[in-house]
Amino acid sequence: MWVYEKRLQYPVKIKTPNPALAKIIITQYGGPDGELGASLRYLSQRYSMPYPELKAILTDIGTEELGHLEMVGTIVYQLTRNLTPEQIKEAGFDSYFVDHTTGIYPVDASGVPYSASTFASKGDPITDLHEDLAAEQKARTTYDNILRFCDDPDVIDPIRFLRQREVVHYQRFGEGLRITTDHLDSRNFYAFNPAFDKK
Amino acid sequence: MRQINAYRFMAWELHIFLDTHPNNCEAAKKLEDTRKKIDELTKNYEDAYGPMGETSNQTSRWAWITGPWPWEIEEEADN
Repeated sequence: MWVYEKRLQYPVKIKTPNPALAKIIITQYGGPDGELGASLRYLSQRYSMPYPELKAILTDIGTEELGHLEMVGTIVYQLTRNLTPEQIKEAGFDSYFVDHTTGIYPVDASGVPYSASTFASKGDPITDLHEDLAAEQKARTTYDNILRFCDDPDVIDPIRFLRQREVVHYQRFGEGLRITTDHLDSRNFYAFNPAFDKK
Repeated sequence: MRQINAYRFMAWELHIFLDTHPNNCEAAKKLEDTRKKIDELTKNYEDAYGPMGETSNQTSRWAWITGPWPWEIEEEADN
């Protein structure tokens, strides 16, 4: 069960629209390393996790990612307010606009709709945690790349917050991997899959 | 709201830290203190601006549906 709260995890107040920037930032809404995929990845993987710390951390981080999805949606929404057809055309936002106007839709930066094939849920805790560690780093790189194109402090500030969260989540998943291997045979972590094989 | 966000962020950081460190008494105590502060701030905020969620003690229907919603810029909310 989830309960909605009428607030953002970190405030977003963008005064100046910038559709060209919106077009690249939307990849963190519906792209391969975006917040939608992050949330679905963790909330799907948790069912097969055998240890209490891991069920908790995947549930909580998967929930926080939904809050980040809302922040990215807000950034794109605020960057595309009050646009003229000329601004839309000039910014190269016309290819998005023709299909979605200024509605928010999960696509990557080149307009490809969200696909669940961008994440894995393998039913093996070591495998899934390595996927999660990689996912946090890929999202961190994407935010670093987005920051290369930002010169508006109203945008830089929340993007930096989101980037920093990837680093914190990476740390928590690293601890999760350590907790997992502590339960396993140190001579061969892969001797059996604790989510499936009966010891 | 700024203060609520700051304390809620602190509580969330402690919450997820405790997922992987459930024996850390110092963090658990800090979380408990932070929650008390949040309850007080949230009550003041909701009394003034309306409910923050479905489970809120403040139940004004009009305040709930009225903007600004989290994605909106205040002066443009509700037309």
